Amino acid sequence: MANLTRNPSTVAPFPSDAVIQVEKVCKAFQSPGRENLDALIDIELSIHAGEFITVVGPSGCGKSTLLRLIAGFSPCSSGRIVFQGEEVRGLNTKVGYVPQESKLFPWLTVEENVGFGLDSKQYSRADRERQVSQFIHLAGLAGFEKYYPAQLSGGMSKRASIVRALVYEPPVILMDEPFGPLDAQTRMVLQDELLKIWEKKRQTIIFVTHDLVEAVALADQVVVMTHRPGKIRDVVQVPMSRPRNIFEIHRQDGFDEAYGHLWNIFRHELSIGAH
Amino acid sequence: MSDPTIQAPSRPTRPKNAVRPSKHAVISMGAMGVNLARVAIIGGFLLLWEIASGRWIEPFLVSSPSRIFFSLISGYRDGDLLQHTWVTFQEIAIGFPIGAISGIALGYAFGRSRLLAEIFEPIIIGLNGIPRTALAPLFIVWLGIGLWSKVGVVFLLTFFLNFFNTYTGMRQMDQEYVDLANLMGVKGWKLTLKVILPAISPYVFTGIRTSIPFAVIGAIVGEFVAATEGVGFFIRMSAGIFKTADVFVGIIVLMIMVIIMDRIAELIERRALRWQSQTEHIQIQA
Repeated sequence: MANLTRNPSTVAPFPSDAVIQVEKVCKAFQSPGRENLDALIDIELSIHAGEFITVVGPSGCGKSTLLRLIAGFSPCSSGRIVFQGEEVRGLNTKVGYVPQESKLFPWLTVEENVGFGLDSKQYSRADRERQVSQFIHLAGLAGFEKYYPAQLSGGMSKRASIVRALVYEPPVILMDEPFGPLDAQTRMVLQDELLKIWEKKRQTIIFVTHDLVEAVALADQVVVMTHRPGKIRDVVQVPMSRPRNIFEIHRQDGFDEAYGHLWNIFRHELSIGAH
Repeated sequence: MSDPTIQAPSRPTRPKNAVRPSKHAVISMGAMGVNLARVAIIGGFLLLWEIASGRWIEPFLVSSPSRIFFSLISGYRDGDLLQHTWVTFQEIAIGFPIGAISGIALGYAFGRSRLLAEIFEPIIIGLNGIPRTALAPLFIVWLGIGLWSKVGVVFLLTFFLNFFNTYTGMRQMDQEYVDLANLMGVKGWKLTLKVILPAISPYVFTGIRTSIPFAVIGAIVGEFVAATEGVGFFIRMSAGIFKTADVFVGIIVLMIMVIIMDRIAELIERRALRWQSQTEHIQIQA
């Protein structure tokens, strides 16, 4: 299914069921020396509903910038992003965003944080409570509803931060290295939980990471980005079946193939960087 | 905050660490021991004062604790002192909330509107350079000798402290909270109430609490310049006729006023910043 178009020269007709189409997007930042610093160049992506996409690349390659553009936090310098048939202008309130740090609102309890995105106009009080408690259970945070974020461990705040973005069921969730600062075990547990939740809800997820194993383990497709200025180097299909066992991901069919492919690309990138 | 004579801080120390001394430290020293030491120091000082007065130092210069105590009692029995206290209280009770609220509101507005901040920031900083108590005589000229001139001075002293603290809070606030809330479809007054105000509340409370002693200073300075009643007037009048005990009585009344106001503010702050204070206790377990 879903292919990611990345050849800017061909004006490929995009499949109509794409949720997000990134069309020739460039992003430049003003550096202090008044020079324009290119963060992203000619990004072309087409992402379909229900896909789990991971984006890998060396740090500073513009992965996070791409997410911020899709969320509408800042405008594209050129090109455009089409979200469900409409160009993104200003904040894109149809996406959920999980930032690098948990960024739970420290003055709200876990319950209030998770329910934050549930608009009181769209959800009745009862619906709201049901939804919140369902997702709190899903995240394994039952019993911690009245806790403040400062009272939670790193892994717990991460979970809360993720379900806060899931709870109002936006069609697309953007995740910016959400498991970065966690220890290896917690990380695996959370990856496992994320996959389980995703398999139930099947929202589209774009997940930025710099960890190749994580990228392969979670994704249907891995988007590989080059060092600054960020370009899309390749898109790797991950042929592993689902549901996956995160804890023994190395033994699953298709892992080695995808990982090897990815590593080859990266090795090439690294040797270019060294020269 | 322990030293009310310090000049208005333009940038608050991180409130979390600054406001309350750590409980653990006190307990480890032994709560009893600390209290005993305190009582001993204060008692010793009062005793020394009592003995020194009349023996080594002229009583009309320093009075003595017992004289001050009896003056305080008789002052309130006459109803005279009560009236002065009431007048000063009114000046603060009107000037302080107006000053605090408008300071917070303007600090918020500046934080929200870049244009507003760009235009007015240098002007406000310039105005802040004026030693504000020096304006007290002007307020007497404008607003008369009665209540309102003092309200004006109280307002002035309260306003700037609250403004600067709130504005600092707005600038230090993590913009990502606002972005996230916006992305979740929260904007307008709901954004202000549920995200921005809580985010800056530690700064707002620092502003309120630092401005309490200054509000009292404002009222007293106003009364020093020209007044017919109020604690400041009472102090000046008593000093003029060498009733030193009454001067101290006035000072004690003011001190108690500041302490009560600060306690009330602290209580409110503790409730409002519950999420923050819980941090210190439970993080150990997490």
